[in-house]
Amino acid sequence: MKSQLRSALAVSAAALVFSGTAWVLQAQQGAIQQEGSIAPEAGQGRGRGRNSGPVLPTPRLADGTVNFGRVPGEKGIWNVPYITNMGMRVVGSDGQLLPEIQKANQAAAAARGAGARAGGGGGGGGGRGGAKSEPWIPFQPWAAAVYDYNSQNESKYDPEGYCLPPGGPRLMATPYPAEIIQLPEQKRIVMTFEGATHIWREIYMDGRPHPTGDALNPTYLGHSVGRMEGDTLVVDVVGFNENSWLDYFGHPHTDKMHVVEKFTRPNKNTLHYEAQIDDPGAYTKPFTVAWDIPWNANGELTEYICQENNRYLLRLEDDFGQPLFAPLRQPGTVPTRKGGTK
Amino acid sequence: MRTKFVLVVAGLALLLARPLVAHHSFAAEFDANKPFKMTGTVTKVEWMNPHTYFYIDVKDDKSGKVDNWAMEMGSPNGLMRAGWTRNTMKVGDMVTVEGSLAKDGSHTGNARAVVMTTTGQRLFAASSQGQAN
Repeated sequence: MKSQLRSALAVSAAALVFSGTAWVLQAQQGAIQQEGSIAPEAGQGRGRGRNSGPVLPTPRLADGTVNFGRVPGEKGIWNVPYITNMGMRVVGSDGQLLPEIQKANQAAAAARGAGARAGGGGGGGGGRGGAKSEPWIPFQPWAAAVYDYNSQNESKYDPEGYCLPPGGPRLMATPYPAEIIQLPEQKRIVMTFEGATHIWREIYMDGRPHPTGDALNPTYLGHSVGRMEGDTLVVDVVGFNENSWLDYFGHPHTDKMHVVEKFTRPNKNTLHYEAQIDDPGAYTKPFTVAWDIPWNANGELTEYICQENNRYLLRLEDDFGQPLFAPLRQPGTVPTRKGGTK
Repeated sequence: MRTKFVLVVAGLALLLARPLVAHHSFAAEFDANKPFKMTGTVTKVEWMNPHTYFYIDVKDDKSGKVDNWAMEMGSPNGLMRAGWTRNTMKVGDMVTVEGSLAKDGSHTGNARAVVMTTTGQRLFAASSQGQAN
């Protein structure tokens, strides 16, 4: 089923690309603009979340372990930034953005300076370059085709738009606040996310291995085991299902995905997040993405229930003009096709 | 003088604060290249997740025809961080809305900012953690 869908998508995406080279060229600039800022500015450079003032030292728990959450008596939440395209957040072994990406960012900044339209305000929309605009992403051909398809229709079928949870690193790229709660005496860490359909994740710190075989049930968030390596929290995640995208832009992944996350808190106001994505089902080799997440010292989580009144679902049409989430039809009736040609 | 300053600050904030529609694909539904600014009377408010909607009656100056427009904003959590409460906007209020039009040509808009006519209060309507901090 999945592979059928994949080939169908690949064929349609290929057709779109062949018939629309102009789109690729035209879209390239927009895509770069969208992700124009480099990691430290993520979610901050747009006028929110920037932490000015003195650099405060990394808080620590009583035993000296880095405290990734609140200091007792204080508030605080992580202001997770909106990383729409992880393809522009790929770092090398030095932890720095790839030189090609830096160059692309500089070119985009220069274009903006020269009077090009700055961003446009889509918040994740805008023109998109597809797989060709990210030659550093080791796409397998089907993954490139699916990515192009998602680029072409501007992420119309983004599962997060249906209120489904993000899987993997996108938890740290969905712009609602989050908390990290360490429970050392219970040997686990709980992360709670206001957005992302109000979800939590649990990281086992007791040294257990991942389940294997059928004991590893594929889930949106996968199975997470963690350990401290010095001041770095390393989390190893496997067991993802295939119902999520890596990011808003629609980089696909499969259930073969293995993610290794590294969390550091170089100072009180900064969480540095790094994730190595190794998915032999979709990519030919692993790649690593990274960004900073600023601390909001006065913030607290509030309620967000995506599933309440999601009109997007009801308005959404497939490529043939049919409602994607129509009410159940009476058996035996022929669905009425909407007027006009689409 | 004060008004001017407020406007400048609001303008700057607007430049910095590009709308974040974190929930669904903004681009699939709305066209950032079709900005609008319209004033009308609120007919309904749906203070709900994942998007708050409000509806306004807008009169066409030329034809005199009144159309009802649906405006999408962020979710209540994001709106409260941006200074809203569920009673900020009430049925009957006059508001000016800035945002982007729907791609499908329907009377639907994505609101970026709302100015309450009676008080002059300007509020950002973006979703996610918004522009509050």
